[in-house]
Amino acid sequence: MTLAARIESFRELVEEWLRGLYHGMISHPAYEKIEQQAEDDEDAFMLACFPDAFGIPSPISYYTAELLPYLEDEFEAWERRMWDRGSLLERKGHQYHF
Amino acid sequence: MRKFVFFGGKGGVGKTTMSSAYAVKCARDGVRTLLVSTDPAHSTSDVFDQSFTDEPAAVADEPNLDAMEIDPETEVREHLMETKRAMGDQVSPAMVNEIDRQIEMAHQTPGAYESALFDRFIDVMRSADEYDRVVFDTSPTGGTLRLLSLPEYLDGWIQRLLHKRKESVKLFERAAIGNNEPRRMMDGDPIIARLEQRRDDFSFAKETLRDDAAFFLVVNPDELSLRETERAIDQLDDYGLDVRGLAVNRLTPEPDPEESGRGATFLRERVKTEREHLDGLRENFSPPLVAAVETRVAEVKGDFLGEVAAELDIDTAPDVQ
Repeated sequence: MTLAARIESFRELVEEWLRGLYHGMISHPAYEKIEQQAEDDEDAFMLACFPDAFGIPSPISYYTAELLPYLEDEFEAWERRMWDRGSLLERKGHQYHF
Repeated sequence: MRKFVFFGGKGGVGKTTMSSAYAVKCARDGVRTLLVSTDPAHSTSDVFDQSFTDEPAAVADEPNLDAMEIDPETEVREHLMETKRAMGDQVSPAMVNEIDRQIEMAHQTPGAYESALFDRFIDVMRSADEYDRVVFDTSPTGGTLRLLSLPEYLDGWIQRLLHKRKESVKLFERAAIGNNEPRRMMDGDPIIARLEQRRDDFSFAKETLRDDAAFFLVVNPDELSLRETERAIDQLDDYGLDVRGLAVNRLTPEPDPEESGRGATFLRERVKTEREHLDGLRENFSPPLVAAVETRVAEVKGDFLGEVAAELDIDTAPDVQ
């Protein structure tokens, strides 16, 4: 193996490590945070749409009911998150990977 | 006169009589007219001795007049069936029960009835191109006022929902790493599409009611009816709606001067108090009196309707735009 080839393969290794490190430390947690924020927003949306699921009467549930057939995944995930969530602190703290 | 004319007022004051009479008057003046009854009691059928359905049907002997009756109960049921049908197409069997319960619940809320009625209002107003005038015989004041405040109120709600939904979808799109498919996408999102459709409906209703509708309140010359009318005028003003006039119904006829029996004395007393109320109406209320109709001995039907119509001082010609 020539010197040039060895340098080349070493650089590739370093690059791969750096990319992985960057992804793991910076970009992945960031995406995760964004996704969680999106879920939180969606929860707020679902709650505004279907407060009667919690026994709070809603003036527009007649109109939001027609959204339900298109909200299958969201509805399920929402219910799961609602059961799952101990407290807001837990949910927010979760993203810091202590 | 504007294209959409609403008659409102306390229960039992004679809204159906007044609105039917006005519709007949318009029709006889050669204006293509549709009479829409939204009162679940549906007395239009009785007035014309003819039964009407959810679709406009010609009224016998009145060439320019069609009538229809809206039943909110049926509307709610239809909306329920439609939503369930959409669910059958979209939702996996495992989730159907869960969502089904939610949908049933939504259709039993107190607002469902009003919402259904309101949808139908929008429908009628949207598809009334072939008519020059649409006369609405509304349900008693409270219900109608709530109904007319709906666009303002629902508009706000829908805007908020739309905003929230867009926000979360935007974040989901951003959170998609590299070549990953985002969990939700803005393009073709059925929820956003539906909410936007609703928002357009509501703003259409808001504009039409404000710019293209006139309101008349039917009053009886008694304390209760007067008070309720006063409140109704205030509220309609608050919503920015155009109250054009008051139609006084059920005035007691005055006896001849030479009569002096118990009946005549009673009538004279009654006429006196009513006159006071009427004067109060003229002085304290800003919309003008457009009609003063006396109590009839028989039910207002058929020929009587023409007589009452003649007493209505409401113009029938469409506004020039």
